[in-house]
Amino acid sequence: MSQLLQAAAYGVVQGGLLGLVAVGFSLVWGVMNVINLSHGALAVTGAYLAWLLNLHFGLDPFLALPVVAIALFLFGYALQRGLINLVINAPIFLTLLLTFGLGLVILNSLQLLFNADDRTIETSYASQSLALGTVNVPYGRLAACGLALAITVGLAAVMTRTRLGHSISATGMDRGAARLMGIRARHVYAITFGISAALAGVAGTMIATVGSFNPTTTPGQLTLDAFVISVLGGLGNMYGALVGGLVLGIAESVGGLVLTGTWVNAIAMAVLILTLIVRPSGLIGKAQYSGRVEV
Amino acid sequence: MSASPLALILEGRKRPGRELLAEWVRTRRLSNSWAAIALVVGFAAMLGVQQVIEPGTMRLLSAVFMFVALAQAWNLIGGFTGYASFGQVAFFGLGAYITAVLMNNSHLTFWLAMPAAIAGGVLFAVLIGLPLLRLRGHYFAIATLGAAEGSREVINNMTPVTGGGLGITIPTFGDQAPTPYFGKPGFYLAFLILAALSVAVSALLARSRFGYAMVAVHEDEAAAGAVGINTTSVKVIAFAVSGAIVACAGSIYAFQQIEFYPSDVFDPSFTVLMVIMVVIGGSGSILGPLVGAVGLELLSQFLRINLGSYNQLIFGAIIVVVVVFFPQGVVNFFRDAWRLRRISLLDNIRRYRL
Repeated sequence: MSQLLQAAAYGVVQGGLLGLVAVGFSLVWGVMNVINLSHGALAVTGAYLAWLLNLHFGLDPFLALPVVAIALFLFGYALQRGLINLVINAPIFLTLLLTFGLGLVILNSLQLLFNADDRTIETSYASQSLALGTVNVPYGRLAACGLALAITVGLAAVMTRTRLGHSISATGMDRGAARLMGIRARHVYAITFGISAALAGVAGTMIATVGSFNPTTTPGQLTLDAFVISVLGGLGNMYGALVGGLVLGIAESVGGLVLTGTWVNAIAMAVLILTLIVRPSGLIGKAQYSGRVEV
Repeated sequence: MSASPLALILEGRKRPGRELLAEWVRTRRLSNSWAAIALVVGFAAMLGVQQVIEPGTMRLLSAVFMFVALAQAWNLIGGFTGYASFGQVAFFGLGAYITAVLMNNSHLTFWLAMPAAIAGGVLFAVLIGLPLLRLRGHYFAIATLGAAEGSREVINNMTPVTGGGLGITIPTFGDQAPTPYFGKPGFYLAFLILAALSVAVSALLARSRFGYAMVAVHEDEAAAGAVGINTTSVKVIAFAVSGAIVACAGSIYAFQQIEFYPSDVFDPSFTVLMVIMVVIGGSGSILGPLVGAVGLELLSQFLRINLGSYNQLIFGAIIVVVVVFFPQGVVNFFRDAWRLRRISLLDNIRRYRL
């Protein structure tokens, strides 16, 4: 029983972190209809940035977050404005290919700069954990999960309460109409991608703090996780990624306890496919996004 | 969102590339026989080439032929029918594992195992195609990606049968070998035949009534259904033919590799390569995937040999540049340029930019 509780607690904190990886991904997908296959590579870029700041200036990863977020926002803005906007109206596999190529460029540059070793950001509190009865939750993971929650709530507030959020939603719903209302779609798209990249960088930093990362396997795994979570949670709702992340995190850690080998991965994929067939709008997403037909 | 392409054709405002292509094929009945002659000449030429090259070059060209078949297969479902599958590698891995399990565990010959792999590919395509082909766009892409990842995990965990993560080995010499190993010249021939057959099958399908049905489903599925096309069966058949070709490629690849692991034959980069080759060559045509597969595989081999650790970086950059400058594919770009007597890369960028 206590094993199960421990697995569930771990699943919750891991799920929050996974949700943070996915929230930017699902934002870009929902607003621009672009599946960003370089999302994992952007997250790992953020992780390296925080790792460098920690290595050279001894900066705590949580304090490095604003720097990472701003740097990746600027990078994301430039990418969208200069590159992705060029093919935004193309058939889906073109945007998929473009972001795939972009991901290859980013992660191979990282690999050439820092080699393929596993890295982690060392902190003094890495080994300490909060004991709740028989359940132990490491402080780092707890803080990362809390941060994920706060960022999601903050993002939802920005999207529903500010002028910027309204223009992002409006452009996502009907770009033509939004432009007629005086919204600069190029700029709004670039800001959206910038926010997504910044969130990816923050998530990458957190992953580097509570675990380890490398430029070869981590980006692909993160992108795939973001994929699954966005579908599970659904698009068009900022809390979708968080809900999807929690479901995946808990399912994986509890499933890993019950099932042998890597059957849990097969089950996760079966759940993904069933979700798509039975409820393509995800657990709490808006149906409008799943009915969208792309040519 | 904009009006459907079919509506645009009816209004006469814009004629999409595929409609023009269909017209181009209709008005050139001779081109059918020319294409057949070109295929036979190409096949004979590659047989001739085999006589003068080193075994190492044969191995390299075998890989090129395999990707020609894979690209043609992806083009059937992704290019003609317009369903961008990101899980075609599932058929590759399935074909490889059916072959290896039958040859290793049941001691069947390769000539029985390969048809079984093809049958397995068709069966799997029908099983997952029926529910998944109801999804569109990104959702179909992810569902097929999930199916491929899921099938790898199933193979990975069926350790008693497949050897799981420890891999599987096909016995190739002595009394244990159900079929003697082909060697480099044998696999060159096998992949060459597969490539030629897949080009022929695609060309025949594309110019048949069924080919027009695939394009119609791509252009406007509702309208295609309204004019009496059974869209479900068109989609499932296109998916199954594609799956059969990929499974056959996986089967030969398995025998060539002798020993492999689930992560080798279910590697998502196979799918990505198929997509890239079709898109860069030009989707929805026969020549496009052929040019894309040959060009890209030779290029990536060249980069691997000459640029060492920079090869993936350059490869990624090339993908980005080609997607931006040739979004309709190299073959379609030059065909349009020839027809309109106008070459402009700027037109290409204007087409899809915001």
